[in-house]
Amino acid sequence: MVPRPVPLVTPGMLALFAVLATVPFWIARVGLYPYLGVEIVIWATYALAYNLTLGRTGLPSFGHGAYFGIGAYAFGLAQLHLWPSLWFCLAAALLAATVAGAAVGLFISHRRGIYYAFMTIAFGQVFWFVAVKSHALTGGEDGLLKIRRLPVELGFATVPLDGNDALYWFALVAFALVAVLLWRLVHSPFGRVLNAIRQNELRAAFVGYHVWAYKLLAFAVSAGLSGLAGALFAMAQTSAFPDVMSLHWSGIVVMMTLVGGGLVSFWGPVVGVVLFFVARDVLGAVTASWMLWFGLMFMAVVMFRPEGVAGAWQAWRARRAAASRAALASAAGD
Amino acid sequence: MDFLVALLPHLVNGISLGLLFALVALGFMLIVGVMEQINLAHGSLFALGAYLAFVVVSSRVPLPPDLLAAWRAVPIGWRYAASLVLAPIGVALVGMVLELGLRRTYGKDPLYGLLFTFGAALVIEEAIRILFGTRDYVLPVPGTIGGGFIFLDLIYSTYRLYAAVFACSMIALLWLFVERTPYGAIIKAGAHDSEIVRALGINLSRLRLLVFGFGAALAGVAGIVMAPIWGIRPHMGVDAVVPAFLIIVLGGVGSFWGAVLAGLMVGLVVGLAGAYASEWSLLSMYLLLIAVVTVRARGLLGKKSILEA
Repeated sequence: MVPRPVPLVTPGMLALFAVLATVPFWIARVGLYPYLGVEIVIWATYALAYNLTLGRTGLPSFGHGAYFGIGAYAFGLAQLHLWPSLWFCLAAALLAATVAGAAVGLFISHRRGIYYAFMTIAFGQVFWFVAVKSHALTGGEDGLLKIRRLPVELGFATVPLDGNDALYWFALVAFALVAVLLWRLVHSPFGRVLNAIRQNELRAAFVGYHVWAYKLLAFAVSAGLSGLAGALFAMAQTSAFPDVMSLHWSGIVVMMTLVGGGLVSFWGPVVGVVLFFVARDVLGAVTASWMLWFGLMFMAVVMFRPEGVAGAWQAWRARRAAASRAALASAAGD
Repeated sequence: MDFLVALLPHLVNGISLGLLFALVALGFMLIVGVMEQINLAHGSLFALGAYLAFVVVSSRVPLPPDLLAAWRAVPIGWRYAASLVLAPIGVALVGMVLELGLRRTYGKDPLYGLLFTFGAALVIEEAIRILFGTRDYVLPVPGTIGGGFIFLDLIYSTYRLYAAVFACSMIALLWLFVERTPYGAIIKAGAHDSEIVRALGINLSRLRLLVFGFGAALAGVAGIVMAPIWGIRPHMGVDAVVPAFLIIVLGGVGSFWGAVLAGLMVGLVVGLAGAYASEWSLLSMYLLLIAVVTVRARGLLGKKSILEA
């Protein structure tokens, strides 16, 4: 069967980007604040990048925070010690996280299941530990401070990103680029092999693919793009902290991806990120122990709707399509 | 020779630490081994055991005043012994409630069970924070197992010796239960071929409920024993579940002695690293795991498992 060609950019995607672009105009009016938009877009980029491993290739990576954090530190260190240029620092973050991901990938890509999962945790903990303990380089638990939001140099113009709105639009452009890139990637022949690995790794190997090379590439690309999101996060926070690299935050990105429905849908992680941050702010305004309620909600999702929000939406659409087909058939029968 | 003499206390310390790590991993191992479920709430159940024991031993039990006064008059040794029975029972009940939710994920991707228990871990940890706050507590222990003693010119903590002996006996008891009793045989058969076990008229759902409760109780016991060493605080759950998970992966899924061996190795490596580079000692266990799993696909003694798919 020849797969149906998928356009590079779909109308739905353009509509999503357009709606997201209007966020700074109304977010304050619904009782939220512009910085929340920045956080959501950055974490959505991260979750989409992460889902290349978990959702698209079926690789249980539970230490992904490491690459997000490496990106953030690389961005900060490149800016403070090498060359304070936005493009250079973003490239440094992308490169550092990709190299780290590829290096880890060399060790883990021959492993499967629980062994793979725990190897990613172990490497994640190693990177986190080094970040906490290397006071001289990273500032330890105090964080790497004084990271600036570098202006965008376009050659003919320079756009400052100091305001949250400007940073939001810049992060949104990065999100759109990463989304289109990943969309293209998962619908390419490469992406189809990843999908085959997700369905049955052994079978993909017997068909003749070098499964470990594909796993390694998917992991490195995912780590690199996570690092890019980390760089944006360093800009948003104007600092870099080790806690995003901890097991706790690595677990939370898995949670966001799952709640949204990353296992069954490309856009699931984005839904999950929006839900997580809005839940944090809405529940957090009502009760200090919002994590309790979010955790209970998450347990309920795993119990009753394991495919997440996107899965529930797909099931509803399938039911509706079946109902309308049945209605058509009974109308034709009359 | 001098070097070896200097090394000796670190080796002893490492072995006792290793036994404790193995104890921490026991409940996790039981649930992974016979149910093929990764219980990420293991650490939270461990912490819950420590907190419940604290409530029992320090007489903060919600009882009518006259009963409470009577309980306070009981010698601490009896109160401690009571906590070793009551707290694990409480933890087992919480574990059984978890299993009732977890059973909806059986037969699906193992990822869902893992995520369900991750959510449960967040919930239990947050509940502990709400009930007890974020401060540290100290679990009072009877005087006979406190203090220290001198052996071969070196001072050892009596409690650590007690804890190591306790860990040894728990490991032995669990092994006897799983390998040498009919209940253990049924549990293992249930993991091996659930359809046949059902066909033999055994209520597998109830069996799994009990096994999960038993695993949770083991986590609770480990929490009580570790409490005087690690201190009682909300974060102790995370400090326990990661080494437990690590030991199971290092030892290999489905291998009892693999896990015990892995626990001892982790203890030795962490103990020795602690002696020579204390700030980096926790890192050493991750490096050990990476080194072993890079070479051996199923850890030290692992068997084929659905958790590999």
